[in-house]
Amino acid sequence: MKELKILYLYPDILELYGDFGNIQVLRYRLEKRGFKAIIEPYSIGNPPPNFKDYDLVFAGGGADQEQGILAEDLIQYKQSIKEAVNDGVFFLLICGAYQLFGKYYKGVEGNIIPGLEVFDYYTEAIDDRKKRCIGNIVIETELNGKKTKVIGFENHGGQTFNISSPFGSVLMGNGNKFGDNHEGFFLPNVIATYLHGPLLAKNPELTDYIIKYCLDRKYNEDIILEPLDDAFENKCREQLLLLYNC
Amino acid sequence: MKNFFILLAMKVLHIGLKIAGKNGGNFLGKIAYDWNPNIFKYFKINCPIIAVTATNGKTMTNNAIGYIFKTAGKKVISNTEGNNMETGILSTLLKHCSLTGKIKADYLVFEVDEGYVPVIFKDLKLDTLVILDFFRDQLDRNGEVESLILRINDFLKTYTGNLILNNDDPNVARLGQANPENHNIYYFSVEKYSHATTDMKEAGEGKFCPFCNTRIEYEYYQYSHIGKFKCPNCNYGDNEVYKMAKNIDLKNRTFTVDDVTYKIRFNSIYNIYNFTAVISCVSLYSIDTDIIQKALSTFILNNGRLEEIQVKNIPTIINLAKNPTGSNVSLRILNEDDDEKELLFVLNDNIADGRDVSWIWDINFDTLNNVSRIITSGTRAYDIAIRIKTAGFPVEKIEPYLDLHEAVEHFYQTNVKKYVIANYTSLQPTRNEILKLK
Repeated sequence: MKELKILYLYPDILELYGDFGNIQVLRYRLEKRGFKAIIEPYSIGNPPPNFKDYDLVFAGGGADQEQGILAEDLIQYKQSIKEAVNDGVFFLLICGAYQLFGKYYKGVEGNIIPGLEVFDYYTEAIDDRKKRCIGNIVIETELNGKKTKVIGFENHGGQTFNISSPFGSVLMGNGNKFGDNHEGFFLPNVIATYLHGPLLAKNPELTDYIIKYCLDRKYNEDIILEPLDDAFENKCREQLLLLYNC
Repeated sequence: MKNFFILLAMKVLHIGLKIAGKNGGNFLGKIAYDWNPNIFKYFKINCPIIAVTATNGKTMTNNAIGYIFKTAGKKVISNTEGNNMETGILSTLLKHCSLTGKIKADYLVFEVDEGYVPVIFKDLKLDTLVILDFFRDQLDRNGEVESLILRINDFLKTYTGNLILNNDDPNVARLGQANPENHNIYYFSVEKYSHATTDMKEAGEGKFCPFCNTRIEYEYYQYSHIGKFKCPNCNYGDNEVYKMAKNIDLKNRTFTVDDVTYKIRFNSIYNIYNFTAVISCVSLYSIDTDIIQKALSTFILNNGRLEEIQVKNIPTIINLAKNPTGSNVSLRILNEDDDEKELLFVLNDNIADGRDVSWIWDINFDTLNNVSRIITSGTRAYDIAIRIKTAGFPVEKIEPYLDLHEAVEHFYQTNVKKYVIANYTSLQPTRNEILKLK
């Protein structure tokens, strides 16, 4: 039986906006097709994970105080994470995790929280603590040459700059900054984004893109995934895209 | 002089609203507050003011405290309808005061929105504050739980009245240390119940000690992050408990406090916590135990908070759930019931609900006990259907309907026992649709 090994980073801390849902959706779509999903959590106090051993690494967003605690823990793996990214392991990073993988996060008081420096982007807090990019968001991205709309919800104060290759263009909502045209960061094996909701729940094409990438890489093939019953997902997308005029 | 005229105007307005057959809600308070935000100072109150705040359980706890005082023959003024922000409290005061601002009552009992405690009690002298729990709730509107707790903590630094705290919620018990000068801190707790677990089953907060950042250790979880906890490093959580509920029997709906047995009309661990807080509170005012027993044995709420009704002879349980913990508590009750049942879940994403529905992924739908069908409705009927499907519930047994009327009609096509979970703005419309069939 073909299987995917997923590393779930800090499931007990980075879990503020239903991010666990992404893992559940991945597992659901793998198991429905007869693949095995091996999900291994890592959190503070656990033995160090070997990032290269995994097909997919996932991390979500957390509360500010708790995110500070784990940033100190995560930074010890800086080098092996970089190697895993270069090796082609897939990284799905949401919100706080998206920011942590950049160069730094600059707080309201000008304090710098160093990031993992895996990617060149950086994030700055907005001066007014009460101002945040909050709301439903729709972006358009291109997956394996096919344009698709991704629906989610964003809730972030941080404004992310110096994005070389965004995840998508914004059709509704803010994106990387207030009123931005672009959202997230994208490489063939990296999706870093502010979209939660959780991200994968309403976006089956995106989920299947990730699954296909991981299976193709692991088993060196060009797999055609068996279609699933996506009636609820399709109706949900239809309803919301009509409502949002996208 | 200005306040006198505000009061006069509000009194006239109140009479006008009454003649027009309207309750007015927050209306009077809104006008008066806009006129003078310091108007709270003007009221002359000579009785104790009691307030209840929390994420979940405010209305039930507030109303139960008032109900016990009333059963004891006391005059109580309270915002029983749940208008719990500054304008709601002000409306209640305006309706009951004389033109000189005098309020005649034995007790004022208020439920207060957790964000408004510092605002309202800046100028009103609070005798007792009851704090039940803090959970994640509408993060896009309220922000993170931690900032809310810090605001209340700031308020408590100079507060010296009675403070009744849930010792089993690490987010609440920490507030007992806000003011070391305050010696009127009363912790309540509930003994481990039969469905308590050693692992957290539902999303929760407070994983790290607020005093030393060490990971908190739990002996057991009752629900969400409510349970017996302690910081292994600084011992935080090890408090002397004032009232402890024991012998929890949810089937027979009884529990004991200080060896006295209380019979209640509810069957959830969450209610046991609320009522233990209630007993802690009224015992500070020397209410006889037999009066508390009598009052609690008849206390119910007919507003969709664990409301039990018969519709076409089918037992139906309706519960409001506006956040993950509220939903998980409802599902706990459902799962602790072995009968075959069907579930209706109504999810709206209006502004008052919070626009973000990602919290439904923090609801534990994993092992539903004897549920034969689930109907979903509300503006986000499909989102909740996807959520339930992904948890492994058979897709052919899930029926989403955007239209609520249609959903309720299909729901009552079978005579299987019904459970209804509805979030904030969907609760009353859902209840009305169901009551139409009664």
